[in-house]
Amino acid sequence: MTKKYKNSWKAYAAWNYEQEIEELNQASEQGWQLVRGGCFHSRFEKNPEIQYRYQMDYRKIRDIGRYLETFREQGWEYINSTFNGWHYFRKLYDPSLPEEEYEIFTDRESLKEMNMRWVRLAMIIGLVTGAMALIQAVRMILRPDLPRLIMMLTFAIESVVLLRGCHIMKDSDPEKKRKGSQFFIPVFLAVIILGSAAFIVLEEGRPYFQLQSDASSVSEPIVDDEYSSFQIRYKDYYYMDLELTASEPATLRIVDEEGNMIYEGTSTDLHEKDTCLKLTKGRYTILFSIQSGYHLDMRIE
Amino acid sequence: MKKSEPMSESYYYILLCLAKGANHGYGIMQMTEQLSGGAVKIGSGTMYGATGNMMKKGWIQEIMSNEPGVERRRLYRLTDSGRDALREEISRLKRMLTNAEGV
Repeated sequence: MTKKYKNSWKAYAAWNYEQEIEELNQASEQGWQLVRGGCFHSRFEKNPEIQYRYQMDYRKIRDIGRYLETFREQGWEYINSTFNGWHYFRKLYDPSLPEEEYEIFTDRESLKEMNMRWVRLAMIIGLVTGAMALIQAVRMILRPDLPRLIMMLTFAIESVVLLRGCHIMKDSDPEKKRKGSQFFIPVFLAVIILGSAAFIVLEEGRPYFQLQSDASSVSEPIVDDEYSSFQIRYKDYYYMDLELTASEPATLRIVDEEGNMIYEGTSTDLHEKDTCLKLTKGRYTILFSIQSGYHLDMRIE
Repeated sequence: MKKSEPMSESYYYILLCLAKGANHGYGIMQMTEQLSGGAVKIGSGTMYGATGNMMKKGWIQEIMSNEPGVERRRLYRLTDSGRDALREEISRLKRMLTNAEGV
């Protein structure tokens, strides 16, 4: 006789683990018995003749022998563990036994200990990502640009979701641990992955344009020499550092493809620090006029 | 003065069950149910956590049973400091009960 198997790709948030247990019990009632539990993927075997009750534990096991024996002696069969420390157990269901027979945490303290083990870890990650979001926010105020905005939002979402999860997990009301949409975790992960990918792509797409030039004197005045050019891949704020010193006034201009002036500076001593340039996609040309020796150092990021 | 914290019900019953002699997890569970008339149950998750924590505190010790014919089973044994902790808890509970009777 061949066995029938079924895969499930349901992902549950840690703070909805009671919902997962409930749904495993319901699946068992319908003849689908869990053979391998996971954070994103679970496997079931068809067997309508038996019914199990499931339980989940979260901990780092120090003594696996003692751990499994403690569960085995009360009729719990170990199924498997996930990579991040959730352990699945099942016990054959006997309707004549009281419901307490299918509990593994029988006092408030030990259940709270389990919840707090998860909360401690999630709290650290939540606070670290929260701090990262704040750092990005400060940098956004000082020098706004698109990659920073995306990174800030990604960190902020991650932090808020994890800290909210900690809050629910800490709550002793089990009802709160039983509500959750099955789309929450996939959407949350997609937001984090897309946010991080967008940050990398946008950050890679930024120019790192640097120009350094010196001359002790020039033989004849240079007027609007097309000195150099750089490419902008997407519309955003970019920042220019510029230092231009010359004995006679010199002019530096940045123009776009249509010849519109983006920046113009004329002086014997030009100093720009973090000057914001609002640029759209396209090529920009740097025009330079000089009639004496000079020193030029510019950078656009 | 160092004041010990009140014990959880599970800790208390585990120590109580071990006061008469070493026992394994299942034995402790059954004895607890019997002693409490079914009011206190100790599930596997609670048992593993409580015994682990009390071993760390040095209140109980793990020993291997060498009974013939029986699968090698872990037994827990009360230590001297575990017995002290239990005595302290009992006198705390007695005091509380006496206080209540005086009201």
